[in-house]
Amino acid sequence: MPDTSQPNSEHLMEEIIKNMRLDFFENEEIIAVIDAIDSFDRHLRQKVLALCFALSHASSSLVSNTLKRISTAAQKLEPEEMERWFDDAADILESQGIDPFIDFVAKVPEDGLEPFMEPERLRLREVTGLLETYLMGISGLDLTIGTDSEPYTDTDTVYLPPVLSRSRVPQENLLLYVLMAAHKWGQIACGTLMVDLHEAPPEGPGTSGPEDDEAGPRGIEALFRQFPERAFAVDLFSLLEAFMLDSFLRKELPGLMSKAEGLKAEIFSERPRLEDLSEKSAFAEGIYHYYLSGNSKGTAPEALAKMRDKILSLRGATDPNEIVGVLFAAYDAAKELKGDYKPQRPVFFLGTIKPERVSRRLEAKREEAMKKLEGVITKLMNMPDFEPRRHRSDGPAVRAKPVRKDEEYLAIKGKIVALDEEINSRIKELGGVPGGVLVKGSDVESGSTYVTLKDLTDEEDEPQAKGAGVKYDEWDYKRGDYKRQWCSLFEVEIQPGEEPFVELVRKRHGGYIAALRKRFEIIRTVPKMLRRQKDGDCIDIDAAVEAFSDMRAGLSPEEALFVRTDRQERNIAVLFLIDMSGSTKGWINDAEKEALVLMCEALEALGDRYAIYGFSGMSRTRCEYYKIKSFDEPYLDSVKGRIAGIAPKDYTRMGAPIRHSASILNIVEAKTKLLITLSDGKPEDWGAYKGDYGIEDTRKALIEARERGIHPFCITIDKEAGSYLSHMYGETNYIVIDEIRKLPNRITEIYRRLTI
Amino acid sequence: MEKKTIKIEEYLVEEEPYYLEVDKEKALFEAAYRNRIPVLLKGPTGCGKTRFMEYMSWRFKRPLITVSCHDDLTVSDLVGRYLVQGGETVWVDGPITRAVKVGGFCYLDEIVEARKDTTVVIHPLADHRRILPIEKRGEMLHAAPEFLLVISYNPGYQSVLKDLKQSTRQRFLALEFTYPGRELETEIIKHESEIDAPTAGRLVSFGDKTRNLVSAGLSEGASTRLLIHAAKLIHSGVDPKIACEVAISGTLTDDHEMIRALSEIIQSIF
Ligand SMILES: Nc1ncnc2c1ncn2[C@@H]1O[C@H](COP(=O)(O)OP(=O)(O)O)[C@@H](O)[C@H]1O
Ligand SMILES: [Mg+2]
Repeated sequence: MPDTSQPNSEHLMEEIIKNMRLDFFENEEIIAVIDAIDSFDRHLRQKVLALCFALSHASSSLVSNTLKRISTAAQKLEPEEMERWFDDAADILESQGIDPFIDFVAKVPEDGLEPFMEPERLRLREVTGLLETYLMGISGLDLTIGTDSEPYTDTDTVYLPPVLSRSRVPQENLLLYVLMAAHKWGQIACGTLMVDLHEAPPEGPGTSGPEDDEAGPRGIEALFRQFPERAFAVDLFSLLEAFMLDSFLRKELPGLMSKAEGLKAEIFSERPRLEDLSEKSAFAEGIYHYYLSGNSKGTAPEALAKMRDKILSLRGATDPNEIVGVLFAAYDAAKELKGDYKPQRPVFFLGTIKPERVSRRLEAKREEAMKKLEGVITKLMNMPDFEPRRHRSDGPAVRAKPVRKDEEYLAIKGKIVALDEEINSRIKELGGVPGGVLVKGSDVESGSTYVTLKDLTDEEDEPQAKGAGVKYDEWDYKRGDYKRQWCSLFEVEIQPGEEPFVELVRKRHGGYIAALRKRFEIIRTVPKMLRRQKDGDCIDIDAAVEAFSDMRAGLSPEEALFVRTDRQERNIAVLFLIDMSGSTKGWINDAEKEALVLMCEALEALGDRYAIYGFSGMSRTRCEYYKIKSFDEPYLDSVKGRIAGIAPKDYTRMGAPIRHSASILNIVEAKTKLLITLSDGKPEDWGAYKGDYGIEDTRKALIEARERGIHPFCITIDKEAGSYLSHMYGETNYIVIDEIRKLPNRITEIYRRLTI
Repeated sequence: MEKKTIKIEEYLVEEEPYYLEVDKEKALFEAAYRNRIPVLLKGPTGCGKTRFMEYMSWRFKRPLITVSCHDDLTVSDLVGRYLVQGGETVWVDGPITRAVKVGGFCYLDEIVEARKDTTVVIHPLADHRRILPIEKRGEMLHAAPEFLLVISYNPGYQSVLKDLKQSTRQRFLALEFTYPGRELETEIIKHESEIDAPTAGRLVSFGDKTRNLVSAGLSEGASTRLLIHAAKLIHSGVDPKIACEVAISGTLTDDHEMIRALSEIIQSIF
């Protein structure tokens, strides 16, 4: 059915467009306005349209500015607050005219919204960072905070409600968030969400037994599918679980839990009396009462009263399966009770359980692990039956290593393959690989040799086209030698970006940047006393005394007898090498750029010399090296434009760009030379530059850089940093940042720590 | 002229220092000493390295001579220098020379703080030669048989300007120190501060949680030493939450967000 407001609103939109055209606005500007209007939800959009329509009559130039302010307000206010603010704005325009309206709207970025905010409410997004740090502190796990109407967790993300206004005091509302988050952590730490299908189903087949579902769900979801009254069972479980969580949290976070005591009494007084509920509902509600106060308000159904001790004993539970045991008993005991089960409001800080979310999450993790394994197995099965053909005659064949007796190998297609531990144990779990068997080294014919998985990856098979550009060697670990002049590297101009990216970031992080600059200026301006100098501002007493004594002792005295204060003691040149491969598309690329902006601010304050280059490329004949800022270039608009222009390109062949960076650093005069690379995972290029080949070449390039007196430091942005990193980076310092949004703040801190 | 002599007893640890073994470091150290292999104590600050050295020197009845390294430390500071006294020049041994002569344990704390040209003087002492060249006197001093060189190093500092050179580190046997486990650490804190076990337990729990935050922006977690500081404050009547804020959070970081998160954790624990 067509929306009745539609014709009217379309008409308004047309009028606005018409008015803007009359005022000579460009098409793009008009489209931007339409987009902005369309970004509001239906209800608000209608009002916004009416307002813009009125404004466009006065002057179209007011429209787009006002829209920006409205968007800001909508981001900062809750829907009902937004409504009040908007109505006020419209009133002002209507009754007082344009100028007071403009004043009113202009105050949005400052304190104009405050009168419309409920003073006591606390919004999750104000404390998300705090809560995530809190959770990481108490749990040691990297849990993310998400928003949903009730608190629950899927074991990776802790969902919390977007606003809390239960208490009049914001600090208390924060406590409530903390309490919710702590309970979710409790579930993860106690493993109560990891319970699985129980041995004894309560009765016959459940709503969806394993037989009508070829690959039924696993874990907690499977458990709950057994219960015909699923919602009732889930609620019972989360109630019973609360007893176990309570004693766990008392032990871990006694301070928090003692504060929860007061809350419990308060909540208890708000709970319904049992007499007012159906028997079935009273059964569940009674457990709430036990949890909150140890006793029930009103008479508990007999079926529940009989179970009270058993339920309270869950306080001492150490195994989540004990909860499952009591769950079955309680579910059974409540079976004959009269009335429907009407869920009451849960105790808000306990939140709820979403078995399907937990199982889905665990399933996803399992799948990821399986995919990895499958990749390896496919590689094994598709392996040629004979030794891989060598494309180049000058390399020795795959290096053969004698089998060791106490190791385990996979015998497949007439070869003995060494596996790493993870793959080994997974293959065992699977019960083997088609066409292969696991054998012990001692069972293999003596004198046999083995190969590793990486030996089997074939060598690059590419045309030998060699263009111009700078040639670099590449390390081929299989041959244990360099491929001479193998890569062609081209320095490429970067297209400056169009949007004022740098300015936007500087605006967004204004306060942070000021603090950052101060931090770095301190390092710079701390005057350094250099003792025992050949010349200087004053005499080094210690040195003079020593020289005098030496002279008297008949030795020739030291000549360095002065103290000099030096502000330019820092003599550091740093080159940032930025991964611009296709895999950085999206967030990573943005974070890299943002990180660079902050880094430039810090370095400008510090006075260290720095250069920024990006790299990407496609095959060894086209390694591209983008200049963003050279050492001699000042940090001006041209550089800023190039930072904005950093965009994802093709592949990641890291060796050549590292070697090129090392040559650039090599001709810079500095006492300390740093090469900081920023990438998002494994080096990979078209052809054979993947897996161990890429890793080994990168490793080698870093070693070469070290040999040239350069300190490489590698920052990898990777959710699941593989074990290959410590090998690839070797002695080089490196750090893995698993969440890209942390990069911009972390990088400056890393740099500071690296160089003080 | 009276030679300045070393009174060994000044450096002898008389009473058994309180030291709880965390791993098997006592036996390992003993084995290293039997073979006169110099020892590198690796680990974050405040995890018991100094205390361990006090204990080991008491155990072997050797004088302990400790030098805290810093970047102004010169070779003369370590080896010795001529001084003028009453118109005469007098040679005064530096701490290493004293330790080498009397066969003591010479402990160079935070060795990476010292400049590289200073650290090289220990090289000939740290290999089979066991000699200390005293350039100013044109002497080579052979170390007494009981002498042992020990250095400490905190790998947590990532500064490229402060890295332990391979040529130095490869002369040593490395003993890895970490924070003691929960139970041991509670025991240590109880012993050092005389607070009750539950409070010590909570402090340890807080310490543990700060160590979880190292990847989230703290450069280091709370050391046992910091926990003991807080415990001592609590013992003298300071509110535990405040004690944790001033003795631990405040010393770990200046970052406001982080301090807030730490204080939420403190509120949750105490
Ligand atoms: N294993 C331990 N046994 C006894 N006390 C310890 C132990 N570990 C740490 N401590 C306590 O921690 C304090 C700091 O340790 P310290 O040896 O000064 O650390 P480090 O030298 O590693 O910086 C010591 O004074 C001692 O009270
Ligand atoms: Mg110490």
